[in-house]
Amino acid sequence: MHPTPGAPLSHPGWQKWPGTLLALAILLIALGGAGALLWQAPIPDLPRLWHNPYLRGVLSFSLWQAGLSVLLSLLLALPVARALDRQRHFPGRALLLRLMELSLVLPTIVAVSGIVGVYGRHGWLTGLLQGWHPALNWNLYGIHGILLAHVFFNAPLAARILLQALDGIPTPPKRIASQLGLGALWRWRALEWPALKPVIPGVAALIFTLCFTSFAIVMTLGGGPSTTTLEVEIYQSLRFEFDFGRAALLALIQLLVCGSLWWLVARRPLSATLVPDRRLGQLPPRRDNGPGVKIRDTALLSAFTLFLLLPLLAILVRGVPGLVDLFAPATGDAALSRMVQATLRSLAIALPAGLMAVVSALLMLASQRTASRVATLAPYLPLILPPLVLGTGLFLLLRPRLGSSAEGLMLVALINAMMALPFVLQLLKGPLNALDQASARQADQLGILGWYRWRWLYWPRLRRPLALGMAYGTGLSLGDFGVIALFGTPDQPTLPMLLYQQLGSYQMSAAAASGLWLILLLLALFGLFNLLGRPAAGTGVRSGANVEKLEPVHA
Amino acid sequence: MPTLKNWNLSMLDVQKLTFSYGPEQPAWCFNFSVDAGHCIAINGPSGSGKSTLLGLLAGFHQPQSGDILWNGSSILQLPPWERPMSSLFQEHNLFEHLNVETNIGLGLHPGLKLSAEQKNAITDGLARVGLAGLGKRLPGELSGGQRQRVALLRTLMRKQPILLLDEPLTGLDENTRHSLRTLLLEAKQTGTTLVLASHDEEDRRVLADSAWNL
Repeated sequence: MHPTPGAPLSHPGWQKWPGTLLALAILLIALGGAGALLWQAPIPDLPRLWHNPYLRGVLSFSLWQAGLSVLLSLLLALPVARALDRQRHFPGRALLLRLMELSLVLPTIVAVSGIVGVYGRHGWLTGLLQGWHPALNWNLYGIHGILLAHVFFNAPLAARILLQALDGIPTPPKRIASQLGLGALWRWRALEWPALKPVIPGVAALIFTLCFTSFAIVMTLGGGPSTTTLEVEIYQSLRFEFDFGRAALLALIQLLVCGSLWWLVARRPLSATLVPDRRLGQLPPRRDNGPGVKIRDTALLSAFTLFLLLPLLAILVRGVPGLVDLFAPATGDAALSRMVQATLRSLAIALPAGLMAVVSALLMLASQRTASRVATLAPYLPLILPPLVLGTGLFLLLRPRLGSSAEGLMLVALINAMMALPFVLQLLKGPLNALDQASARQADQLGILGWYRWRWLYWPRLRRPLALGMAYGTGLSLGDFGVIALFGTPDQPTLPMLLYQQLGSYQMSAAAASGLWLILLLLALFGLFNLLGRPAAGTGVRSGANVEKLEPVHA
Repeated sequence: MPTLKNWNLSMLDVQKLTFSYGPEQPAWCFNFSVDAGHCIAINGPSGSGKSTLLGLLAGFHQPQSGDILWNGSSILQLPPWERPMSSLFQEHNLFEHLNVETNIGLGLHPGLKLSAEQKNAITDGLARVGLAGLGKRLPGELSGGQRQRVALLRTLMRKQPILLLDEPLTGLDENTRHSLRTLLLEAKQTGTTLVLASHDEEDRRVLADSAWNL
């Protein structure tokens, strides 16, 4: 359809091709990366490597800790999500939801430093525990620490997705359940389980993948060759043993495990959006919420809030003096300039990465509407292709030519953008598809196509989500410690690398300062993008969030 | 449950019930009464607050002020499951993955602890509305008219003295409409009070004894 005035960029090709080409590029990079592993590296004697007891130990430990992490995270997330669904007036609810959202962008390495501050050898809680029960020989390092950190990250993620599934139960059945006075058991059977059942496999697969390929946590809390994962082993092979064949083989095993898991579980795409839209209409009262349940839920939610909050508090309490020291004239300029350099380097990677992620997510979503299959599937590739595998492949592919460190940083930004892509995509998908059929038809009739469509129909709705996507994309990249560990150089660290170096040399106060600084930087970024996402006053365009009524008034 | 013996004394009295969805949203004020065993039709265009009124009566929303009296005593503080009401919406009345029997049974006991008589009553009820033998079906396997029969059957079997009907027959075929209207008339004759929100002229003509305009 070509209306006579001709809206700019209204040819259907503009919707289809940019995203499709980008998706093809991602496919190419991924295939190139994985392919490079295959032909660049002399594959070692397969059977012998396979029978190597050490590697088998690594593989089974990777599987074991990931499985346990999934189980523990879900066991915690399920009651938390149900309690949050029940207790709409829990005083700390907003804070808890914020904390749970934070876990997606909180850099692992920062969280680890906080966890060490609470549960480590000289941690707050450890001190308390040892005081009460000296015989208890608690040691954070090893499987305990890995599981603790994995649950710290993934239980909130899971709880958020589950809560959203519960929020998504339509009002009519909730009303009927209320009128019939269903108790906890039948409410679970009639409403909650049917809503949760379709999401749980996807959540489990997501957590499994994240934990199976866990890098920073295992590096810092693993504490020995008996507790190491494939991802760490790949890193070791590449960085210290220069045994590319071995790295390639391990990467392939990892790819195989994650790929087949997703093939099994997630053939139905995980439709949950990562940030819940807070559309709290007036919910009908429910019978399964007596005083006993309220007390139990309050206790659970308070404990969970504390669980998420304590490591952050530890960073804050230890970081403030460290930061003050840093800016004190006595310390000298060396430490400060190192921190400033690292900050600039981090931003130089993260801002382009965020921008790339948002722009490609948008273009691919546009292509998806033209039923471009490659644009639908390619952005999820980075989820099953762990960053180190991708990095390894590209590292091998580009190794001879990777001269300057600037090129290395560009590559890191590119891979980070790819890693953030599935999350950003998920963020933008809902608002972009929220344009209803009737409005779309009307726009077609009026010739609001191409650029005009974007300008007047999508942009007002997408302004906020785009800003948020930018914040998430940048934030994820800012906290990245996997890819940078491979390409970066120790004397030119990014902030997470700096933090890792400080943790490694037991400069706890400096580490806490860097951690706090990184969090402050993240908060500043989120604040800034939030500000940019607000519609300018007096434009007459209401943002998408306000358009949705609390409840359809259909009388 | 209030007794129906002195039904000519009992009435539903809605007294200056005010409600709005938010500080900047328009506020409604509802004020009417209906005798037990009668049917009042709530008239008004779309968006005039008919569904909101029924939601307030059922206890899904809390009003800002006013009161709801049943037989002279306020039911405003009661939660939905203790109010003497059953609601029937235009659609989405059933739990989609529970079969017809379970859907009805949950109306008789919220934990599905049913006596043998109650189980028999469900079977008989299904036969009475022309759905004999369909008790094990899932709602998705039924037609729109059949689903609404199941929903109305559950509503009636709860034996609550007040029925809140929100476009109960809209979108159904003439045959189903006729038989459901008959069931509703029977309920009215046994003393059930109906509050009807419907756009349909004929529904109002057949069922309603009085009307209140929004």
